Amino acid sequence: MSKFIKTLTLILSLTVCSYANANSIETLERERAKILNLVLDKSISIGERKKRIEQTQMRLLDLERITINSKNINKNPSYQTIKAFENFDLTFLVHSSLENNKSLSVMWFEKLGLTTENLMNTRVSRK
Amino acid sequence: MKNINVKLILIILFTSFYSMTSFANNNLGEWKPQIVEKMYILPPKHLNKVLNNDFNRSLLALNLQNTDNNIKNKIEKISKLNSLLSGTSKDENLEVKHQIIVNKRDYIKDMNNLLIMKKQKLNTKKIFFQRIKKNMQRKTINSEKSSEFLNNKNLAIKRAQKLDFKILENTSYNLSKKSKYFEQYQVNKDAVKKLKLAIQNHPMSNKSTLSKDPKNKMDAINNYILNIQSEIAVLEMKEEMINYMAKIVALDAMGLAEKVAFSSENENGVISSNFNDPINVISVFTN
Repeated sequence: MSKFIKTLTLILSLTVCSYANANSIETLERERAKILNLVLDKSISIGERKKRIEQTQMRLLDLERITINSKNINKNPSYQTIKAFENFDLTFLVHSSLENNKSLSVMWFEKLGLTTENLMNTRVSRK
Repeated sequence: MKNINVKLILIILFTSFYSMTSFANNNLGEWKPQIVEKMYILPPKHLNKVLNNDFNRSLLALNLQNTDNNIKNKIEKISKLNSLLSGTSKDENLEVKHQIIVNKRDYIKDMNNLLIMKKQKLNTKKIFFQRIKKNMQRKTINSEKSSEFLNNKNLAIKRAQKLDFKILENTSYNLSKKSKYFEQYQVNKDAVKKLKLAIQNHPMSNKSTLSKDPKNKMDAINNYILNIQSEIAVLEMKEEMINYMAKIVALDAMGLAEKVAFSSENENGVISSNFNDPINVISVFTN
């Protein structure tokens, strides 16, 4: 019985700790994943996609600002955080799209190397 | 009876000198700097001022002030008693001399306490600055490690700041429902910008160049530690001086004790004789 209580306490404490450690970069990553999911979602119409991206974009902008201005991440930054700031254009999609005057989805595809020209080249090389 | 009392006091006086240090170490008060860590970023000059203000509020500072006043009173008393020495009768003269010795003893005790308290203050200050030095060294090591990340982050901040105006002008953001953070962000950013400008234009900001360069700040802290160490060395020399003063007072007290003993023997008509010499004890055997 006591063993069970000990294990339960350990699990609970670990759960609490993991919640407490959730930082801005993780929240940003979650929101970014949601928006990219929308970009890649084939089941919705173009109009709906645009509308829903615009709605989510505002929240993503806030999170990007919070992450960029956060001072907590300066101390012992995780590998994930370091990599996120190394790739500004891929991490901070809203900022990057505004900077380049391109839509968020176009910006993301471009940064991944999925441009029209590249895709056309792939088709040529197949033939 | 009176003379015996004087002798007894003199004996106590001698013993008190030996136990002086143990007396002095007790109940002198203490000082624990109550400075928050955020103060550490202050320029060293201001930090020193804050530290001194903090000390002035401590129990040690109060005791130091009281002891200082006591010392002044003792010196005044000793000089008054010295002026009374001439033009007094023999008994009065002995009493005045005794009072002088007692006051000198008290002066030495207080002075020793004062030196211990000053040393305590300097040591606390030294430990405080050494802690700051350690913190700075640790921060430098950490910042060297994460300098690449910080560079990237600073670049990100600059890029984001450039876009702030563009975001405000962008119609899609203006038309959509703004979050509380979005509204507060611009207000706070403007306020921070104004404050930063005010700091930049502040006359004291230009003077405190030491705080801007961590290397200079480290040099200044090192200088403070060096100065404190030299002050402690001076205090140690003064302690040696106090030891010599105590020896002189002890010799004076011994001299006075002998004088008192000699005069009392004369008053009782007892002539001192040396019974260790057989010539002086011939009468004891012949009569």
